[in-house]
Amino acid sequence: MCGINGVVGLSNISEVLFQGIRNLEYRGYDSCGIALMNKNNLVVRKNTGGVEEFFRKGDILSAKGKTGIAHTRWATHGKVTYDNTHPFTSCDGAFALVHNGIISNYRFLRDGLIGEGHTFRSETDTEVIPHLIEKYYKKYSSVEKALVKTLNTLEGTFAIALISIYHPDQIFCARRESPLMLGIGDELKFVGSDFNAFIDFTKNAVIIEDNEYAILTRDSYVVKSFLTQEEIAKSITKIEWDSETAKKGGYPHYMLKEIYEQPQTINTVLELDSSLMDEVVDMIDTSDRAYFVGVGTTFYVAKFSEYLFSSLTDRFIPALSSDEFVSLAKVDRKTLVLTLSQSGETFDTISALKFAKSKSAKTAAIVNVMGSSISRLVDKVILQGSGPEICVISTKAAFAQIITLTILALKLSLKTKKIKQREYDASINSIRELPEVIQNILNERSGFIHRIANNYSKVKNWLYLGKGIYYPVALESALKMKEVAYVHAEGMPGGFLKHGTLAMIDQDVNSIVFIPPRSDKKLYESTMHSVEEIRARSGFVLGVHFDEGSKNKNLFSEEIILPNVKPIVAPFLQLVIGQLLAYFTAISLKRNIDKPRSLAKSVTVG
Amino acid sequence: MKAIILAAGKGSNLNPFSNTRPIPMISVAGRTLLDNSLRQLKNAGINDVYIVVGHHKERIQDFIAGKTEDGMNIHCLEQKKNGGIGDAVLQVKEKISPGEYFLLIYGDTLTDENIYSKAQQSFHSFKCPVASICLPPSNESFGNVFLNAQMKINKIVEKPKGSNFGNYVLAGVFVLPESFFSLLKKNKHSMEKSLQTMAKKGDLMASMWENEWLDIVYPWEILQANKIILDSWSESSIAKSAVMESNVTMQGVVKIGENAVIKAGAVLEGPCSIGRGSYIGNNSLIRSYTSIGSNCSVGYGVELKNCVVLDKSGIGRLSFVGDSVIGENVDIGAGCMTVNRNTNWEKIQVKNKKTVFSTKMKKLGAFVGDDVVIGAGNTIQPGTVVLPGKKIPACYSVTNKT
Repeated sequence: MCGINGVVGLSNISEVLFQGIRNLEYRGYDSCGIALMNKNNLVVRKNTGGVEEFFRKGDILSAKGKTGIAHTRWATHGKVTYDNTHPFTSCDGAFALVHNGIISNYRFLRDGLIGEGHTFRSETDTEVIPHLIEKYYKKYSSVEKALVKTLNTLEGTFAIALISIYHPDQIFCARRESPLMLGIGDELKFVGSDFNAFIDFTKNAVIIEDNEYAILTRDSYVVKSFLTQEEIAKSITKIEWDSETAKKGGYPHYMLKEIYEQPQTINTVLELDSSLMDEVVDMIDTSDRAYFVGVGTTFYVAKFSEYLFSSLTDRFIPALSSDEFVSLAKVDRKTLVLTLSQSGETFDTISALKFAKSKSAKTAAIVNVMGSSISRLVDKVILQGSGPEICVISTKAAFAQIITLTILALKLSLKTKKIKQREYDASINSIRELPEVIQNILNERSGFIHRIANNYSKVKNWLYLGKGIYYPVALESALKMKEVAYVHAEGMPGGFLKHGTLAMIDQDVNSIVFIPPRSDKKLYESTMHSVEEIRARSGFVLGVHFDEGSKNKNLFSEEIILPNVKPIVAPFLQLVIGQLLAYFTAISLKRNIDKPRSLAKSVTVG
Repeated sequence: MKAIILAAGKGSNLNPFSNTRPIPMISVAGRTLLDNSLRQLKNAGINDVYIVVGHHKERIQDFIAGKTEDGMNIHCLEQKKNGGIGDAVLQVKEKISPGEYFLLIYGDTLTDENIYSKAQQSFHSFKCPVASICLPPSNESFGNVFLNAQMKINKIVEKPKGSNFGNYVLAGVFVLPESFFSLLKKNKHSMEKSLQTMAKKGDLMASMWENEWLDIVYPWEILQANKIILDSWSESSIAKSAVMESNVTMQGVVKIGENAVIKAGAVLEGPCSIGRGSYIGNNSLIRSYTSIGSNCSVGYGVELKNCVVLDKSGIGRLSFVGDSVIGENVDIGAGCMTVNRNTNWEKIQVKNKKTVFSTKMKKLGAFVGDDVVIGAGNTIQPGTVVLPGKKIPACYSVTNKT
């Protein structure tokens, strides 16, 4: 069991050869070697050990060539030694060859060749092949003829790749029973034990079958039978392959990957520079007036923060949508404008900032992308460090901003002596425990949410309801549903129902209610009141709550039960549920998840 | 990379169809599950395939012998005694070299898109053992998987009890190293325990599958499988040699095989599939999600709806077959009806031998095994299983004795 590959191209291919052979390591790795054609000289390097080590230690990538073959070996004949490592060369050094398989008549052939004066350096079965080719080349003066004669002399199994000084821009290869494939790129042609050798460069494969050999050049390939020497027409198999998969790390979509990365982003936020956060807290504290400004998802982040600061601190800091900022805001020198943006390039938010600056306001921002326009425009910037967010729908970046703002609120609360150090520490500890709780939700609830999303994906209208801080949760979750699943979802405060909206409730309008933990008594009771109002009109209610084993069983049409946590972190769990529900609904409706229609990653136009 | 397809199991829950064939030889939408898997493997760039056979091994051996597609190297290996999944995997031990990785596939699963390619891609990027995972419609009977944020599987819980929460489950597609064989031996051939050991050591990565996935366990799941495949079709095709008479109406995606004959006045509502050499009589109504195998005969005025009819079967004139699966070489006489709902719309129960299964379906017809003969004029109760080879006499209301 070995892996072989070969590459022929126009410029230096040693890096490509390295990548290919590294991807074949799964076929066995106790030693590794390459042969490159440098102008008209054959350069052969080999060593024992894994591919990575071999290339690093031997400084192999410094070897240059336009044609090359490589081998990763799992010893069958002969010990793991330098001498037994492929490629093997002929006595005159004109041929280099790699082989996968077992030559069963090698002892007989070897004895004959030694008798004819050939010198062998290894204990392997493979080494007879280059010597045989050398022998027959002397007879026929044609590499192709020598190869065909050799192949017909060999017994056993083989897949081979061969280069020679006589045709420095060609690779010869052949197969009997051991696997072999060609990769047909525009600029490069490949041979490999399987597609792993070249899939990063081309998806077009030609499968070489038993008793066939092929000659590859940079621009062309020909496949023939070594029994009849007739050319064989081969069809190209297009391998189904999504080249983005590697970047998605096993996830089907960036959106899901980024949802799963949220536990990690919380840890990152907890490690942010505390003194920088304190400076922003000072800015809030010393300002006469302050605004949270964002648009789309970040407006809901701002809205969430409005509730956070009102409940945790003495400050009421209104959230304004960036595009409405100019019409609404009162801005002067003593005003702080704290903007929120994932990309830091959001047009509406930049406009709001420029307006604020023209009035000499203080400015700050929480952004994910370093060096972005907003990060350069403001007086103080917190870089949230959530890593690249590739899905157009913001999940982890918005999540990290909410965590950051929670910490800012707690810090301000501590600074203004609204809470004691002990309470502050307890809240920070709850945030520290959050990654694990969220990881468990992702593991234990996603299947259930998937099922609910499947069952209700055909629902055309949703009401997303929440009270208090759960109102922005409802708004943000409804936006997720609209953005990725293209399903109408309206976020609304629970109290709105009795002011008219209840008239819409019937079996065609479904509701989701984000219910606080029971310990948040007042809010819990008034939210449950909304649920009863809907149920009384036989409306459908999906309850997202923390009441495991409660007696409210028949109150909900469907329920998603979350583990019991402290009220301060409870809304975060609800947010994750909102994301998953939108994601799985979109899956069920076969939407284009990572690039939904009518939405760009950063909206840079007005 | 070599692929191993496990196809030896008896699948007794799938009677009457598994009585006479291994599960992967069941056809939906005109193609066997095995053929589907092989095509997907080929498109995933995999050509060396070992199939572990046992129960009715000749069906698979004959199929492979008759397969002429180029570039595939397919071999059958026999599992002599019924020793479970782990034992089936061990049959291939000699074919895999030390250090080598292989793709392991359970033969009774079905996907709409190429799950093998996805698993290969995950393996290509992780460079370590991979298990495909998915979210099935129900999870009680599967191995539940717990992940960490890096897609590493850190826990596998087989058939969890007491909790109604669904998780990701193993999808029956793995990329495993040769050393897995010794792990199996250590764990008394238990697949579950061996995978759990790997997970505990942190050696198993997940490849997440969000598309359709189905593990075919019960006969009514053949209808779901059929729907998954028909829904994945995006265009119609009619073989050049098919004969279409006048006034044939077609809607949606319809596939018609070689030498099929569609008589005048027939209505074909897609998605549906009509196999090669089949005959569709005058004024018949083929409604959506119907798959008719090859060389079948559907008489005048027959209505078919959401059903799978396997090869060489005949359905007599003025019959109705709906929400049903009809085996191979079945002869259904004229004027037969598969009743497909209870009068009170209660969920249908299926009695298979002595066990009664409660399905979640309000509409379900009959499951008729291979070589059954049903005489004219019979009315079949919802959820009925007819065992292979059974002969049911015609049902007369007036006879020469009256």
